[in-house]
Amino acid sequence: MSEHNRLISRLASRNIFRNTRRTFLTVLLIACSLSALLFSDALIRGSLQTMVKVSTETFLGQAQIHKPGFRESRDVDIYIDDTKTLYKTLDGLTEIQAYSPRTLSGGMFSSSENVSSGMIIGINPEQEAQVSKLKHVMQQGIYLSGKSSEILIGSELAALLEISLGDRLVVTVSQAHGGELSQALFRISGIFKFGDRTLDSQMVFINLAQGQSLLNIRGVHEVAIKLQSLVYANDKNHALWQSLNNDTWETLSWMALMPQLSGILAMVDYSTWIIATIMFILVSLGLINTMFMSIYERQNEFGILLAIGTRPQQLFWQIILEGGFIGLISVALGSVLGGLGTWWGASKGLNYMQGLEMAGTTFNEAIYLVADTGHFIALCLSILLITIIACIYPAIHAARLTPAHAMRKSL
Amino acid sequence: MTTVIETQNLCRDFGAGDTLVKALKDNNLIIEKGEFTAIIGPSGSGKSTLLQLIGGLDSPTSGEVILDNKNISHMSGTQLSDFRRDHIGFIFQAYNLIPVLSAKENIEYIMLLQGISADQRAHRVKNILHEVGLQGMEDRFPAQLSGGQQQRVAVARAMVSQPSIILADEPTANLDSKTGAALLDMMKELNEKEHMTFVFSTHDPMIMQRAKRIIRLVDGKIVDDERRD
Ligand SMILES: Nc1ncnc2c1ncn2[C@@H]1O[C@H](COP(=O)(O)OP(=O)(O)O)[C@@H](O)[C@H]1O
Ligand SMILES: [Mg+2]
Repeated sequence: MSEHNRLISRLASRNIFRNTRRTFLTVLLIACSLSALLFSDALIRGSLQTMVKVSTETFLGQAQIHKPGFRESRDVDIYIDDTKTLYKTLDGLTEIQAYSPRTLSGGMFSSSENVSSGMIIGINPEQEAQVSKLKHVMQQGIYLSGKSSEILIGSELAALLEISLGDRLVVTVSQAHGGELSQALFRISGIFKFGDRTLDSQMVFINLAQGQSLLNIRGVHEVAIKLQSLVYANDKNHALWQSLNNDTWETLSWMALMPQLSGILAMVDYSTWIIATIMFILVSLGLINTMFMSIYERQNEFGILLAIGTRPQQLFWQIILEGGFIGLISVALGSVLGGLGTWWGASKGLNYMQGLEMAGTTFNEAIYLVADTGHFIALCLSILLITIIACIYPAIHAARLTPAHAMRKSL
Repeated sequence: MTTVIETQNLCRDFGAGDTLVKALKDNNLIIEKGEFTAIIGPSGSGKSTLLQLIGGLDSPTSGEVILDNKNISHMSGTQLSDFRRDHIGFIFQAYNLIPVLSAKENIEYIMLLQGISADQRAHRVKNILHEVGLQGMEDRFPAQLSGGQQQRVAVARAMVSQPSIILADEPTANLDSKTGAALLDMMKELNEKEHMTFVFSTHDPMIMQRAKRIIRLVDGKIVDDERRD
């Protein structure tokens, strides 16, 4: 029987090259759909990865530690007191590349011209430089050097307060332990611009020691963390998270800190499959059309094949095989095209989202496509499967022909 | 004498109501082994319909077809396919061959369905090509053969599986009269040599002269049945 199978596959492969133009167009339709699908999947993944990268690297950090309760209330009283133990623990964890302790409080800024409110963040300049972009987004002046009167201010806030480098700025906060007002005078030593509205219009940075004395605390409110690999942040069950979560420390990765973004990430798979389903339907319709055209043209031939003893199910398999061959050629071509496109986009990067704000993140970077191999293969196989499924209906039609009916013209 | 083909009260209607066509009306026919029979009649008289029913390519509206002592009127599609493969060879008016297969592959096809070994197949293809006078043309595709040569390949394909019955529907209709006559002479020679039963239809007087038995159809009814020697 295997020799007969070989004959059937020879028949099928020769048949698809009978009408070369039609086969070529069908193959092109399927291949283009597949490559578009592969490319858009990699593009969505790349965009999201860039979003995560941008939002974690700008200021947030890949993870943050607070005292439990701080995140909900933003109460300056809820701070991590025993920083020594925390730093020792963090220093001992190999997964952590760098960390930056911060004090956080709301406050009022008064210049000689204007008044505004916002966020005062105390940082250790060297440590902060390893976790966020602050040092790299200085527009004017210099980054913090440790001097007590230094303050860095966002570009939009500076414009609002109508102040520039060297001008005086009075900061008023309400202290921890009772909420007494406390004031300090700074001189603008630098102006930064993250390119993010919230950060640029509401934040000022001072040295950690000034932050602590202003609020009358010894500890810190927040420690931002940069991990050796983002993989740890994406893995909720990593041992890291257990060792950093207890009564005094609440440690959360960016996924918990930015639920909007992780929500979008979770939707990626669905969105690809939704696009894929639409493509599948188009591909199937195109293929069904092609197969029916080729079957109608060959009615007489099918009649003869049946007349001389071909079983209906053998005819069925011959048609399925023809579709399978078209599918194989298409998937080969489509995966090469899609693979090349993805490779190009992954190495060169795309700039189409420059300056776009999405889910609270501003894109200032090129997007590098990210292909997921498993997904890539799954999409290719699904297209192949769809081409075969699409041939079932035409194949049943061919197998149901009565020979006399099929050959009516000649007999 | 053994009966190889028998029809009992064979009827075939097409359409219904106003468009009803009674293509065959209650025909009883017996054909013995080794006969060389022509079915003649004007166009539309039911020749093709009769051959289709005898060959199991279509189902009768009523009546029975018995071939080699088996009633084929109620067989399933697969059973009929297998029966045709092993018992009947077909030659049609034109476009007999599968265009994507070479002459040799066209001839081999049925033997592959039958599961005949490669050696046997090669041997038989060689012999049959010799018999139909097409040595050296086995690798040509149908489009590279003349009409007469294509019909010879069809004859070779019909005979190579060694069926007991060969049905040919106007096999010479698309050939010039000389080529047609030569094809018929070849079929007759094979009939005498291999003792296969041949039934063919024609409306060409020159071709019908070569038959040993002539059945005349008019309006779907056998009106005349003449044996000649
Ligand atoms: N599939 C069909 N549907 C409707 N009418 C048909 C069909 N096949 C044959 N007929 C009719 O049956 C009659 C006999 O046709 P046919 O057997 O082809 O005659 P012949 O082969 O002698 O020319 C004709 O009137 C023809 O129109
Ligand atoms: Mg006819």
